[in-house]
Amino acid sequence: MSSLMKKKHRDDPDVEVDMVPIMNMFLVLVPFLLMSASFFHIKAINTSVPVQAAASKKMQADPGLKTTVIIELSQRVVDLSLQADGLKPRETSKWQRQFQKQTDGTFPFTAMADQLGRVKSAYPASDTLIIVPHGDVLYDTIIKIMDMARYEEAEKKLFPNVVISGKIG
Amino acid sequence: MRRFGTKHTPQSFKPPKLNITAMMDMFTIILIFLLFSFSSEPELAGLDKDMQLPQSTSKTDFQDTVKLVLSQSTLKMGDEVVAQIEDNVIIGLDPDNLKSSGLFIRLSHRSEMHNKSATGNQGPRPILLLCDRRLPFKTINQITKTAALAGFPNFQFAVLEM
Repeated sequence: MSSLMKKKHRDDPDVEVDMVPIMNMFLVLVPFLLMSASFFHIKAINTSVPVQAAASKKMQADPGLKTTVIIELSQRVVDLSLQADGLKPRETSKWQRQFQKQTDGTFPFTAMADQLGRVKSAYPASDTLIIVPHGDVLYDTIIKIMDMARYEEAEKKLFPNVVISGKIG
Repeated sequence: MRRFGTKHTPQSFKPPKLNITAMMDMFTIILIFLLFSFSSEPELAGLDKDMQLPQSTSKTDFQDTVKLVLSQSTLKMGDEVVAQIEDNVIIGLDPDNLKSSGLFIRLSHRSEMHNKSATGNQGPRPILLLCDRRLPFKTINQITKTAALAGFPNFQFAVLEM
């Protein structure tokens, strides 16, 4: 048995796999992939601008009352108000809130999200929010407001349809 | 040669074997990592180095569509520079006559092309707007208004994933 094994070891030469072509392929592939790889992920926020359109009959037949939240955004103040065809001005006015910029230079996003959550709870069919920024408001601030207005928690949507509009007048 | 014996002759010299197993392992790991991170998203080449996109919690992927890049110095449509920007003012874009601008003409042309090729009740395609986060709304508003006039009322604001 042992002599047989010794014979076998003597007969099989030490086989070496030539790794050089694989190494060459790796050396070409790795720089190529490094160049084309993206280490930052770009996502998108869907939005639109208001366009003139005929009134939709489908909206009138909707059982739930749909309201539109309007956020007027200036450099120091955020004005939140509500607009709906089926609501009296007295009812819409009770939802009006004003949020001042804090001392650290940010808006109170938590308080704003809470207020939007209350509107959503009162009118669950509502899904549209119009942001009306002043001309000097930075794009970064608008995106932060959009983020706050679209989601409250991970999957609980507040107002997914965000419309951005310039101030008239 | 004989004085030194046969031990040091060039014929008997055997180069040392390089063990490349560890290097192969490393390359394999790097290759797998890069293959996994290889993006299947449409390519976003041509972004300016000084461009700063805003960060967002959005998880929506963008579509491969008309791309407008608004940096602090230029407005590009695709890779083509459409207008220069000075002090947040787009040169050649008259706010009172947006239809006379080069951007409107280009976008109208794209809109017509899209309408011809569109089938059924396909709505207007959005514009992918890559915009520097330090720009004020008055600059962006000129672009969105011009695009809406040209037949593109929907936008996708490009953001960096948080």
